[in-house]
Amino acid sequence: MPTITIFKQDLEGLLAGPGEARQPMTLEQIEDSLMLVKGELKGQNPDTGELRIELQDSNRPDLWCCEGIARQIRVKRQGSLPKYGFLSTKPPSPKQLNVTPGLEKVRPFVAACTATGYRVTKDGLAQLIQTQEKLAEMFGRKRRTVSIGLYRLAAIEFPVTYDLVKSGEAAFTPLGMDTVMTLGEMLLVHPKGLEFGGILAGHDRLPFLRDAKGRALSFPPIINSREVGEVKVGDDALFVEVTGTDLSMVILTLNIFAANLADRGAVVEPIEVRYPYKTDLGETVMTPQDLGRSRTLPVQTIERALGQVLGVHEVAKALVAYGYEVATESEQLTVTLPLYRQDLMHAMDVVEDVAISRGYADFLPVMPSQFTVGGLSRIEEFSDRVRALMVGMGFQEIISNILGSPQDLRDAMRLEGTEWGQLVEVDNVMSLNFSALRQWMLPSLLRVEAASNRAFYPHRIFEAGEVARPDPAQALGSRTVMVLGGMIAHADAHFSEIHSCLDTLFYYVGQAYSLEPVQHPSFLAGRAGSILCEGKRVGVIGELHPEVLERWQISVPAVAFEIDLTQLAERP
Amino acid sequence: MDISSLIDSLHPLEVKVLSTFVSNPSAVLQTEQLAQASGLEPSQLSMAVEWLLAKSLLAVDTEVVTPMVSLTKVGEQYVEKHSPIERVLAAAREAATTGKRLTIQDIQSREGLEPAEVSGAIGRLKKEGALLIIQGGCLESTGRTSPTAEAIRGLLLRVHEMPREMQTFSDAQRQVIQDHAVKRGNAKEPFRIDDRVARSLKLSADGTEAAQQLSKQGVLEEVSQLTPELLKDGSWRTKRFRKYTISLRAPRIAPGKKHPYREFLDTVKAKLVSMGFQEMRGPLVETEFWNMDALFMPQFHPARDIHDVYFVKDPKQTTSIAEPFLSRVAQAHQDGGATGSTGWNYPFDVARARRLVLRSQGTAVSAHTLAAQPAVPGKYFSIARCFRYDQVDATHATDFFQVEGIVLGEDINFRTLLGLLNLFAREVAQAKEVKFLPAYFPFTEPSVEMHVRHPKLGWMELGGAGLFRSEVTLPLGVTVPVIAWGLGLDRMAMVALGIHDIRELFTDNLDLIRSTKGAL
Repeated sequence: MPTITIFKQDLEGLLAGPGEARQPMTLEQIEDSLMLVKGELKGQNPDTGELRIELQDSNRPDLWCCEGIARQIRVKRQGSLPKYGFLSTKPPSPKQLNVTPGLEKVRPFVAACTATGYRVTKDGLAQLIQTQEKLAEMFGRKRRTVSIGLYRLAAIEFPVTYDLVKSGEAAFTPLGMDTVMTLGEMLLVHPKGLEFGGILAGHDRLPFLRDAKGRALSFPPIINSREVGEVKVGDDALFVEVTGTDLSMVILTLNIFAANLADRGAVVEPIEVRYPYKTDLGETVMTPQDLGRSRTLPVQTIERALGQVLGVHEVAKALVAYGYEVATESEQLTVTLPLYRQDLMHAMDVVEDVAISRGYADFLPVMPSQFTVGGLSRIEEFSDRVRALMVGMGFQEIISNILGSPQDLRDAMRLEGTEWGQLVEVDNVMSLNFSALRQWMLPSLLRVEAASNRAFYPHRIFEAGEVARPDPAQALGSRTVMVLGGMIAHADAHFSEIHSCLDTLFYYVGQAYSLEPVQHPSFLAGRAGSILCEGKRVGVIGELHPEVLERWQISVPAVAFEIDLTQLAERP
Repeated sequence: MDISSLIDSLHPLEVKVLSTFVSNPSAVLQTEQLAQASGLEPSQLSMAVEWLLAKSLLAVDTEVVTPMVSLTKVGEQYVEKHSPIERVLAAAREAATTGKRLTIQDIQSREGLEPAEVSGAIGRLKKEGALLIIQGGCLESTGRTSPTAEAIRGLLLRVHEMPREMQTFSDAQRQVIQDHAVKRGNAKEPFRIDDRVARSLKLSADGTEAAQQLSKQGVLEEVSQLTPELLKDGSWRTKRFRKYTISLRAPRIAPGKKHPYREFLDTVKAKLVSMGFQEMRGPLVETEFWNMDALFMPQFHPARDIHDVYFVKDPKQTTSIAEPFLSRVAQAHQDGGATGSTGWNYPFDVARARRLVLRSQGTAVSAHTLAAQPAVPGKYFSIARCFRYDQVDATHATDFFQVEGIVLGEDINFRTLLGLLNLFAREVAQAKEVKFLPAYFPFTEPSVEMHVRHPKLGWMELGGAGLFRSEVTLPLGVTVPVIAWGLGLDRMAMVALGIHDIRELFTDNLDLIRSTKGAL
């Protein structure tokens, strides 16, 4: 979820509107208002007015900027969203942007507009750049689906062409460099080319944005031209374009920029995009464009979900005060999202907006009244019983990570190449220490023993918990098993000592068992046994092999057992 | 101090002395009689008698002082080697028979005597006329006897047998003894005269009472340990048990004990069961399908990235995903299917859905439960181990417990959701004040974050919840509204256990685990 930086005075200015006197807000007021945008104040600098805000909703990219936050609060204060003029007034002879054939296979969609009459301020420029980055990074999936370019309008002659060229055919000086390079060279040497070049991998012709005179604007989605594509404080005429692979996301992104600039006082003028191929919106597409599909739903749907009767009027009022357009007809509401949102997938999305607009505190909590019976799973109940018995026998319980290293789980136990040494391993390893699920419990107990030679003896420790064992017969390739491991360590630790504990445990669990000698590399030969229940192996017991103790750097003898609780719990 | 507490405070030696009077409380006993009757060593007896006198339990009846003569170490030597006076006289007589000249220096060197001893002896012999000093400093025997020399020999032998009372000697003998007894400034003498104090002791009034009480209790012998034998023959009744200094530090033991964090989770578990929740469980290894797709998290969702989830190395994919869930969920992602949703509008990738991951959220367990025809109304919870691809530090663990669950029912709505969260706040966090904030989770709408005022911690986030989206419930076959909830309890647990680093919840330090008190 994005965390953004905004400035308090900028927020207050946007709340008042262009040319209006701003009303200072307290931090408490700001924090309260942030409920409307699912925002949380993470930090602030009282000297600069800097506020760091985390926005939770990954489906509301319009809120990832100061303008969007201010707008949501302002709409609530004013009770409705004023219409954006650029949506209704179509210019008589709009500026044009022509798309070259072949782009449908590379990066098919583009949207653009101009914004004039707003002189870019320092705070405003910081927001423009931050919004451009956050939207391309998180909403545009690292520029793959959406990327954005901002330009100085004065340097551009229309119509602009969204072109497709060979990598050596176009060249310009990119931002951050001071020499002319071809597109191919930018992919090879420019930091942004290296970072985002993968998006264009496999294409021998590349997207290229140029004006009527052939002047380079940018190489989408990689880098802008340094001459045209660097907006500075004081500029008052801008050109904004968005390219990408999803038409509605491209248009939504442009809508957000258009609304943001309009909120700062700019006059936004739409641009006509002409495609040589069909799109969902036809071959000629005006952008920005309100894509808001309306949705009709009965007020009862909302009331039932909220658990509160509000009436059509109250619901409509709440939605309008949250930026929606609403038409009502008896018990039906027809709702349309504002141009900067596209997150209405389901009626429940409307329900939440009603609740947020009215405030969650407006809803009185009610206890669910229906009766249910609580209980534990059989294995949990069984494990709890076994844990209580272990505690009764004087064992200290421990808890360990389930993720461990093959070194600890297998190698230090002398289990390389054995059936006991098979592990469920992680593919994308971050640290070898956490690269495999434990397949048995004793390494977890040895981990504690190895770290505790200063704790007074004897040590009697146990853990009941889950392990994962590879099993090709399972759809998941492994089984999750609940096991119990118990260990005793002190200078005179002896097989019979741990055997007594095992014996006692089985007595109280009410199961008969027998021991059968086993050659297990983790234990001393002749002092280890398989634990059998009616002929089935349910565990192992023995004196740990001195080499195992050495590898764990443990300097006292240790005896241990491990039993499969899942198997035991399933027995009648 | 009353008598019984006085008796309790008596030292075993004192008890022994008092006990000798039990048979005859009015007896007057000599020290020797006491020693014999109590069987105590003289030093022990005299300590005990002094203590009892100080406590006024004993009183002195009579005291007789008798001067006694005994030999000193020097005297014992004289018994064998003879006294200087005898040796000087013998030397002079020997010289007279051999005709050799004998000087004082000769005697000193031959007999190994001190000049003072020699001159003392010569002085006395000369006075008694047994010796002459002639010209040239030579000694000459007169042939006469020396009464002193003779008396000393007899006295040495007699006192050597045993110390004698002074009065058993004649006046002359007493004079010799006095002359040759150690006095201040003259330690090299053979005799010592001591006053022997013979005391007879009797009980005081308190002592009589104490002795009677001791006798009544029959507590005569002190023992340190009650033994099976003492119990068997009842003889513990005649014993006195040594009192311990109970203020000493007790020796340490390590009890069998639950892990404090598990104990905390057990309490949460018990609370949830008491509120009517049924436990659910799931595997550690999950498919992306149940871990995310079934929860309507689009396959391009950032939380599904390789940097957020652990993938399994081998096998990489499951062999099968149960139908009709796979098709229905895929449809819901693509265009909403029959859920009333527009869906995410992208081509659902079944191969991706089949990939195996380590369970990254407990909600995966809930998804399985939804697909397994849960009870309606129904409440479920799980305390599930989850894994996140995260750098491990003081606030991030790579594997951790998630406490979460679902509530299904016809009466479930936004307000009952808030009601349930209120209940959690009260029961789990003992919080009376609750704040609900709008939140975002990919699988719920509306979504709520619950903040509570914890009695110790102040305002803290206790958990998140919401109503499952229809895109989650309908494809899994559930048609009633469902609450999904999760509680973030690690911070509460850490405060309760007094730790500041999340890694210490799973510490390998046995000392720390043993010494940590429970969370409640």
